[in-house]
Amino acid sequence: MFRAILYSQWKWSRLIVVLGTVAGFALPIVSLQGAARADRSPLAAQELLRAVQSWGTLYPVLAAALGLLVAIATWAPDHRGRHIHALSLPLPRWRYVLLRFGSGVVVLAGPMLAVLAGAFLATAVATLPPGLQGYPMALAERFALAVLVAYAVFFAISAGTARTAGIILGAIATLIVVQIVASVANVELDLWGKVVIVVLNWPGPLAVFTGRWMLVDV
Amino acid sequence: MCRTGFHVVLLLAVGAAVASAQDSTLAKMRRRADSLAREWRQATAFADLADSLERDRAITGGDTIAVGALRIITNPSPLPLRAAAARAWPVIDSLYGSAAQELARRPYIIRAVDPDTTVPRPRIHVGMELPWHMSENSLTLLLVSNVPIGPPDQALEAWLGGPVRPSVRAAQDRAGVYIQLVTSPSQAARNCLSGVQGGCRIALGLGDSTGLDAWYPGALERRALVTTAFTDYFDHGATAGTLRLCIAGSDSACTSLLRSLPPGALPKPLGSDARVTLAIVALQVGGRDAYRRLLADPAAPVGRRLASAARMSEDSLLAVWRAGIIASRPSAVVLPPFALVIGLAWISFFAACGLRSSRWRVG
Repeated sequence: MFRAILYSQWKWSRLIVVLGTVAGFALPIVSLQGAARADRSPLAAQELLRAVQSWGTLYPVLAAALGLLVAIATWAPDHRGRHIHALSLPLPRWRYVLLRFGSGVVVLAGPMLAVLAGAFLATAVATLPPGLQGYPMALAERFALAVLVAYAVFFAISAGTARTAGIILGAIATLIVVQIVASVANVELDLWGKVVIVVLNWPGPLAVFTGRWMLVDV
Repeated sequence: MCRTGFHVVLLLAVGAAVASAQDSTLAKMRRRADSLAREWRQATAFADLADSLERDRAITGGDTIAVGALRIITNPSPLPLRAAAARAWPVIDSLYGSAAQELARRPYIIRAVDPDTTVPRPRIHVGMELPWHMSENSLTLLLVSNVPIGPPDQALEAWLGGPVRPSVRAAQDRAGVYIQLVTSPSQAARNCLSGVQGGCRIALGLGDSTGLDAWYPGALERRALVTTAFTDYFDHGATAGTLRLCIAGSDSACTSLLRSLPPGALPKPLGSDARVTLAIVALQVGGRDAYRRLLADPAAPVGRRLASAARMSEDSLLAVWRAGIIASRPSAVVLPPFALVIGLAWISFFAACGLRSSRWRVG
């Protein structure tokens, strides 16, 4: 059963996965392109770190995009077919959802491994100034975790009904409205800031996306 | 003959007139200089008097808090000054040692004020004005970083870029110096990082080896320095052409540009915070009289003074400092150890949310 679901998952999301894999492989290599140039000054460590940091902002973006698109691709055909196919299967719902989730994780392994391979290749080829070190494993681990978190979040949202999505959006809108009203009324209430801190700092769900994504650092 | 004599007399007369005029100009200038000096002395006396009066006004009616040799003159307020001073004193005492006793004659003057900005405040021009709801932590940091110790001599202050003050974030300061060692576009800094003999001495500007040739001996680093730090400065007027030659790879162009910089404008391989960390190490290893020894001989080279303060050779002191900096290498940007567990927990949580969705129950 899992193989059949995995096949359908691959069919629905192969374009996203292939593009994500290519991007994931290329990103570490591109971010260290200066370090491999023959005319690069061995002393330009600061410029190298700056370039790596700038390119580093693309890793969380790629992770979030992959999680979102694969999660949407996981459920879109079921939504379009009004779940007839899923209902016709001799499976309880929880098992079907788990299989779908698992198949999504498996297809996402491609981009994760591509980042790992690209990061190892980039740091192996580059001539790093003394004092700087490559962290391919740490970067790939962080990327994998971010992809999976993004996928899980969007999977849960996509699996839900329009009503669930409405409740989530309504809660966010209420928060924004309360914040605006509080600031108009000159009340010292920083709800939005507190929520952002809770979500983006450890142990918040999106903390893995924050911080510096450095392939090379001191 | 008579005519020649007349010319000689005329020449002498003109010469005497010119000499007299020059003499009077010199005398006039001297009188002006003397007058200016008098004015300056008078202005200084008035300024001292004003400072003294202002100081008297600021401390009148104030309480004196004494912790160790620390003296704080302040107005009555809820500010936790005594507690903060009790925390600050050991830090200050451990750095200045016996010289910290001098602080008994140099009190902090603190005026605690209502944090409500609508309440009118008395205007004082000496000491510090602090809101009285300030926390003990912030107050301690403030006392430590504004120790009213006498300024060091000019040579030491110029080398350090300011007075020696206790560090309130020593570990971060050392980590910052490590980053400077790694990222500075200077071979001297890199030599110091790699442990090359004399590398740290040059990078810290100790001894005679300072300036362009010592700090940036390679063509690549001179070019990197011009193109990263001085492109805007040189990219106009007469130097624009030389800048383009430098960017194109001409080392002589880069060198001439860097030599044309005003004195002191050439970036040092390691900043003043690195030098401060060295001074602090010297004071820490030198014992209680280290600060006095550091200030004892203002005419001696700074390296020798630091070595004397630390009671060890300059090379040994630099080795101790370097070992401390290397040990303070900042931790790499990796996920915290618990991140994997927390990440997996969130993934499981959201997957479970998906399991519970009601999509299945259509129709």
